[in-house]
Amino acid sequence: MRRSNIRKAGLYILIFNFLVATFPQQALAGIIATPSAIAAQENHESLSHLKELLAREDVRGQLVQLGIDPAVADQRVSSLTPSEIAQLQPRLDSLPAGGDGVLVVIGVVFVVLIILELVGVTHVFNKF
Amino acid sequence: MRLGLLAAVLAPALVLGGCASVSPVLAPRLPDDARRTAVDLDATPFNPQTVHQCGPAALATVLQASGVEVSPADLVSRVYLPERQGSLQTELVAATRSYARLPYVIGPGLDTLLAELRAGHPVLVLQNLGFSFNRVWHYAVVVGYLPDDDVVILRSGVTRRLVMPAGRFLRTWRLAGYWGLVVLRPGELPATPSATAYLKAAADLESIGQSRAAALAYGAAAARWPSQPTAWLGLGNIHYQAGNVPAAEHNYRQAVRVDPGFLPGWNNLAEVLAERGCFDTAITTLDGALAQPDATDALRTLLLQTRREILARRPAAYAADAPACGQSHPGEYPAGNE
Repeated sequence: MRRSNIRKAGLYILIFNFLVATFPQQALAGIIATPSAIAAQENHESLSHLKELLAREDVRGQLVQLGIDPAVADQRVSSLTPSEIAQLQPRLDSLPAGGDGVLVVIGVVFVVLIILELVGVTHVFNKF
Repeated sequence: MRLGLLAAVLAPALVLGGCASVSPVLAPRLPDDARRTAVDLDATPFNPQTVHQCGPAALATVLQASGVEVSPADLVSRVYLPERQGSLQTELVAATRSYARLPYVIGPGLDTLLAELRAGHPVLVLQNLGFSFNRVWHYAVVVGYLPDDDVVILRSGVTRRLVMPAGRFLRTWRLAGYWGLVVLRPGELPATPSATAYLKAAADLESIGQSRAAALAYGAAAARWPSQPTAWLGLGNIHYQAGNVPAAEHNYRQAVRVDPGFLPGWNNLAEVLAERGCFDTAITTLDGALAQPDATDALRTLLLQTRREILARRPAAYAADAPACGQSHPGEYPAGNE
């Protein structure tokens, strides 16, 4: 019960942030904002505000599942543009995540070298 | 017999590893006058990575090189995903914006990357150090190249100066889709910019509230591509939001002067005309734009909406526009700024 209240409160905060964040653009009644002009020139279907809100909430949830603190996840989601949200939402868990792996690669190279040496193609280790 | 088979299996692995490449990789991708010149951005900072955190380390390196005071530890909470043990490209781009820097994803191809290095921009790259079937994603920062040795120089992992054969680097970069990011100070242009990509990046800066940085980027774009209406529109919108309506009108006029088919420019010009009481001129401006044959549906809808709103705002007792409406905003902008 309390957990769901907290979740609800989180959603309200998110909606509030969203409204505040988009307020300057809302206030410009007849002005076409530059990002909208670019999207319209490219004839992109931009997400409706409601759909974008839901997509943001979804990405936020995925970030939390991937180990991000909920408050930090809010901040990270709010720094993404609508098109980035649309890009991340369906495949956040499969997009390339650069970590390291230098050791893995060194391992692979080492195994190849040993095989080559055993097979007699190279003579690297004879020099030692 | 079995040995022969093994060698046959391993030979391609050798070639893939770049060990067998003999023809130079860098020289053919360099302009004639730069074919022998080494580039080494040795002043680029170095942040050795901790486990799995090459994303924060590489991003800190390029941000610091662009004058931002930030440490990898500051960036962990912004770009690191614990369960994925890595960082996403999109989040590196987004985090760059929050430090008021313009993230520009360079066009694919080694020649583009080399051109950025010659312009003094270290390039954050995504590499796949594994294979196309077993991927090992890694971020590093390219800081130079030596054409004579056919190598590139990287800040990578825990190595401050990793010298890698260009062929091997190219393979790891190709397997990661040739993704490279330069971090630009506001108003700075990349070495080989595409107007569309740069303006999109500037608009993205604006959309997360970095108006100052975005204004400088639009200004640089307008200077570099004066015939790009979006750059003028961007400048106009920034002035409009800051309450400088005459400057906004000046830039909107510039946008439609360089491209009379640019509907957002006509729309915003009509809006500022209506705001200074020139309702008839505003409506004729919109009607002229709506009569254009190649207007997209999305834009047509927006312009019709603006038209309705302007008509609704026009006072009932409105007779006709004042004569001054036929001209640009009176006393609007310093002359010679076009």
